[in-house]
Amino acid sequence: MKCRKCKVPAEISLPSHNTAFCRACFSTYFTGQVERAIDKHKLILPGESVLVALSGGKDSLTLMLELSRLGHDVTGLHVDLGIPVSSAAARAKVEGFCAQHGMKLHVVELIKEGLPIPDVKKYINRPVCSACGKIKRHWFNRVALEGGFHCLATGHNLDDEVARLFANTLRWDAGYLSDQGPCLQAESGFARKIKPLYRLTEFETACYAFINGISIHSAPCPYSGGASFTGHKALWSNLEYNSPGSKISFYDGFLKRGRPAFALVEKEEGHELSPCTSCASPTSTEVCGVCRLKIAVTERRAADPDRATDRVRDKA
Amino acid sequence: MIIVHVEPENQTLIFRSLNTVLMLQKRLGLRVTDALVIRGSELLTPDIQIQDGDEIHIRKVTSTG
Ligand code: SF4
Ligand SMILES: [Zn+2]
Ligand SMILES: [Zn+2]
Repeated sequence: MKCRKCKVPAEISLPSHNTAFCRACFSTYFTGQVERAIDKHKLILPGESVLVALSGGKDSLTLMLELSRLGHDVTGLHVDLGIPVSSAAARAKVEGFCAQHGMKLHVVELIKEGLPIPDVKKYINRPVCSACGKIKRHWFNRVALEGGFHCLATGHNLDDEVARLFANTLRWDAGYLSDQGPCLQAESGFARKIKPLYRLTEFETACYAFINGISIHSAPCPYSGGASFTGHKALWSNLEYNSPGSKISFYDGFLKRGRPAFALVEKEEGHELSPCTSCASPTSTEVCGVCRLKIAVTERRAADPDRATDRVRDKA
Repeated sequence: MIIVHVEPENQTLIFRSLNTVLMLQKRLGLRVTDALVIRGSELLTPDIQIQDGDEIHIRKVTSTG
């Protein structure tokens, strides 16, 4: 295969676009997609500061590198979940990456915050991933607001977004359908949330990470029951294979014609938010969900006869 | 002989002969955009011939958890 633009041997074939690129032309294409997302949805305005959530995976590190190359004022945020072995490995990747590129990094340690994920798993009777996701989002928003950042960027790619949209559609979840998209404007205690990679597929971000020599954290979390939305992603892979371009047209069509309709419905039913009395994060209850989790974990840990051994282990 | 490493499973497979990258991906049940196919420091498109003695890394792209 030859590069469509410069005719040298191609390295990356993109069936969805019926094309192939060499390394240099792929980078130009990739940057073009990110810029297009930013311009079209006004994700970042000139001079704004961006907090980038970094898990250590290919998408978040790719996002950080690309935004910084585009000249944006970026700071990384990593939430250290306190899971034995895997959290230290993920954090090391993030710290190494930011040090290598001279990027600013802020780390939140859930052990220090009294809410490490292993304790959430042990003491809270609900799927650990849903609590973990909630805790991560809580800290993303909190650091963004407390640090005075204009927006919070996450590395969601087209495959993530399409799988999520598809799941929300299967449930006709009007709440989620009213505001899923590459840009969620700031309101009542929430920072603006942006997804500048939403036009790029998982394959494309993986190619970008590889050709830019990004060393990524790829070992799965020990609590993971497998990748989320695996079934939906496989289904979409079939659709895309048989009809290239399906993913982006489904997603773009939703943004244009679906979301505005759901947003109208939700406006009528929206509920009031006020600051959490403990941490000031926006909530519809007096104390926010994450502070309530922390209270429950702290109480149950104190009442746990095994806690003495836990303390020894934590110190080690 | 061709050595193929599959990530993230950390599997190593050995093939006597393979024709193209596309053929390798089909044998592994993968679509073109399911994985990076890496030889040394280069990415391979599906039409590339795999040579005897090649060492190939297959890096699946679907993010886990
Ligand atoms: S898989 Fe691990 S890191 Fe991901 S949400 Fe679940 S507990 Fe958290
Ligand atoms: Zn080219
Ligand atoms: Zn709170």
